[in-house]
Amino acid sequence: MLRQIAISFLVAVLLLPAAARTRPHYGGTLRVEVEGDPWQRPGGLARQMVLDGLTAMGTDGTAGPALAVEWNSDNDNHRWQFRLRPGVHFQDGTPLSSANVVASLTAICGAGCPWTALHAVGSSVVFTSDSPLPNLPELLAGDDYRIALAGAGSPTGAPASIGTGPFQFTAFSNGVLTLAANDNCWQGRPFLDEVEIRVHRSMRDQWLDLSVGRADLVEVPAEQLRQAHEQRLTVVASPPVSLLAITVSDSGALSNPNLRAAIAFAVDRSAISNVIFQKQGEITASLLPAELTGYSFLFSPDRDQNKAHELRGGVTPPLLTLTVEGGPAMQLAAQRIALNLRDAGFNVQVASAGAPQHVDLALRRLTLESSQPQPALESILRAAGLAVPVMEQSPEGLYKVERQVLDTHMIIPLLYLPRACAVGGRVRDLLLSPDGAPQLAGVSLEDAP
Amino acid sequence: MTPKKLFCLVAMFASALMTQAADTAPAPSAWEQPAAALAEQIAGILGPGPAHLTIRNLSKISADEIPAIRRRLEQDLKAHGVQASGAESANAIRVTLSENLRERLWVAEIVEGTETRVAMVHVEPGAAQQESSTSAVALHRQSVLTTRAPVLAAVETADGFVVVEPEEIVIFAHSADSWKEQNRMGISQRKPLARDPRAVIFSSPEGQGFEASVAGMACIGANQQAPSPADWTVHCRESDDPWLLTLPQQIATGSTPDENVHVTPLRAFYNSARNYYTGVVTPSLGVDLPPFYTAVLLPRPDGAGFLINGIDGKVQLVEAAMLKPIAGTRDWGSDFASLHTGCGAGTQIIVSGSGEALTDSLRAYELPAQEAIPASAPLAMEGTITALWAAPDSKSVFAVVRKTAGEGQADQYEVDRVTANCN
Repeated sequence: MLRQIAISFLVAVLLLPAAARTRPHYGGTLRVEVEGDPWQRPGGLARQMVLDGLTAMGTDGTAGPALAVEWNSDNDNHRWQFRLRPGVHFQDGTPLSSANVVASLTAICGAGCPWTALHAVGSSVVFTSDSPLPNLPELLAGDDYRIALAGAGSPTGAPASIGTGPFQFTAFSNGVLTLAANDNCWQGRPFLDEVEIRVHRSMRDQWLDLSVGRADLVEVPAEQLRQAHEQRLTVVASPPVSLLAITVSDSGALSNPNLRAAIAFAVDRSAISNVIFQKQGEITASLLPAELTGYSFLFSPDRDQNKAHELRGGVTPPLLTLTVEGGPAMQLAAQRIALNLRDAGFNVQVASAGAPQHVDLALRRLTLESSQPQPALESILRAAGLAVPVMEQSPEGLYKVERQVLDTHMIIPLLYLPRACAVGGRVRDLLLSPDGAPQLAGVSLEDAP
Repeated sequence: MTPKKLFCLVAMFASALMTQAADTAPAPSAWEQPAAALAEQIAGILGPGPAHLTIRNLSKISADEIPAIRRRLEQDLKAHGVQASGAESANAIRVTLSENLRERLWVAEIVEGTETRVAMVHVEPGAAQQESSTSAVALHRQSVLTTRAPVLAAVETADGFVVVEPEEIVIFAHSADSWKEQNRMGISQRKPLARDPRAVIFSSPEGQGFEASVAGMACIGANQQAPSPADWTVHCRESDDPWLLTLPQQIATGSTPDENVHVTPLRAFYNSARNYYTGVVTPSLGVDLPPFYTAVLLPRPDGAGFLINGIDGKVQLVEAAMLKPIAGTRDWGSDFASLHTGCGAGTQIIVSGSGEALTDSLRAYELPAQEAIPASAPLAMEGTITALWAAPDSKSVFAVVRKTAGEGQADQYEVDRVTANCN
């Protein structure tokens, strides 16, 4: 009898109409937690949801239309004209105009812009430059150049929080930033009604909240990817998009190129990768990852202490300052680099970035903002503060440029790191942008009403 | 006529669409050109003489192919006067077969004493093979059209292939073995589309026109001077009218023509700010419907049934003015269409899968009662199915597949024709 009941129950369960996977549902609130400032530039999550660029990077790594629908260059890429998308409004209802765009871009970079001049011409904006800007559309797709309504601030102290993106700022209280769906977004309303971003949340607390269902999306630093997998978190990770590198001053003690070369040979990348980043990075001595070029093996990442001593030539330079930006893993990596350099005969002190002193070396993370090799290399060089040479499109031409830049030893690539996050069971269709940021406009919730 | 018979079969287009053959991996002869080019560059750097040649493979080229590549390189180098061998020599040639996301790259490091110089050639990668599955009913797919813009719906007319994109209607004309774009007309929406935009399009009975609906807009197209596809006129207007779901049609419910049921067109109101139908249909089916994503008409023993997929994921059959839950749909996605094959029960439901969105599949099911029974193996579609509809003859269905090939390659939208063979 019991067996019959059990079989009947089983059959009943099997025949019950079960909910299937459907098209994305509209509605619901996504709860996100981050360790840093969601408005930070580059890469702040709120910036990416609230603000759009003139162009946007597609999955093929080329710049596609966003707030600009078309563009053309003349005068050998010294002049570019971008025509704005008609009918776009900022989230407060202000129409997007070329004057708004010029004001926004000028506020972003001022005198440090890659272009020489920027003008509003009818429904277009015109960039002119003393040097050619062949990759300007890709450059404008970067996070630095998102368009905000000039003069618009927010209670969070964010410099600009009114844009044209899929979400709009609504509130910030008790450490939670609330963004609401922009019903009139030119790209279409996002599926989510709201995104709540709990800011300055420690990694430990983020993972705890995810595990008990208080958060839907949390961060996973590269150095904790292995731990996240061990804890069976649902991890969404990008390809390597973040270059850990040392930028080296060519002034002061390090104006001697042999000393810079000695530093490059002295660093033990394997130890940084294995110990600090738990083998989650790709050791590299090239600026671009192998996935983009196929030739990165031509740059040897091996440490060579003898070569470093030989290049130093018995010179003991004065105390060098190595600054570092970022969390504990970056601090540890800086300490280990300092140790490597001391072994090679250098005196090095580690300091936090932003300290008012001469910086000889800086340990930084540079974001690969494109999956096309030329714009990616250009963005890295700009972020590192290095001159951008004219590049050929061929692998051979690109290799020559990389070789030329790396032979100056003003930038020493160490590791390529992925960007990752972990998500709860409600989250559907999360994709990452080319720079590894989660694209929340396409996300929906399994249990949305 | 009873309410339950107020249905008709979804009808779209009868097609004679061309196919694309599956690509294959490069044959060994494909290495001839890059080997020759690399050998020429090496010889240009090194000049005639002996050299120690090593080859390493960092690419996906099969290890079985390396000896053939080596032989080819040695032959080409020899033709330029370079005697490459495995023996030690003052000169060394280190060839690395590498690749990036877009292409293969063969790199030679030519070492002369302490100096190393580099030569490179790039090689186009082979494409993946298409795949299909077989079972009781075997599904097959053929690529009809590939575009960069999203395809929301499409229909074949007497003179062309009409594709609805989010902001434009595009006319394609048949040319040799493919469809060529002829004309592109704006829909001119005033409001932004929803993020999962959808559309429907039906051709007129004589194939000289079409009726299309996109969120908030209705478009009528006509070709007054067939057969020139450039003579299409398209008029779009703002509209909240219900969308056409099915055309008037005879539906076979038995073995004789007397048993055919005539069903009238069915229209449904669409929520243009979202991605689903509100549940209000006209004419009424005699029962309140929940909001739904998809609806198809199915022949049933007593006439016709209307299968809907609610936004809650529940699949229900509207039959005899009643809503009946359907079991066995756990693996179903949001999209389905009916296919008349004559195999088994005669009509199958072709359903998108419920698995990972990036690797959707289609599978045939039959619905003898209130439980869906698989009638084929899943057919991998190598992408995300974004739309699915039946051809007017119901002997094939069309699927739009968004293919995100990953970094370095653009998203593509492929319109595939899916047919079934009896086994």
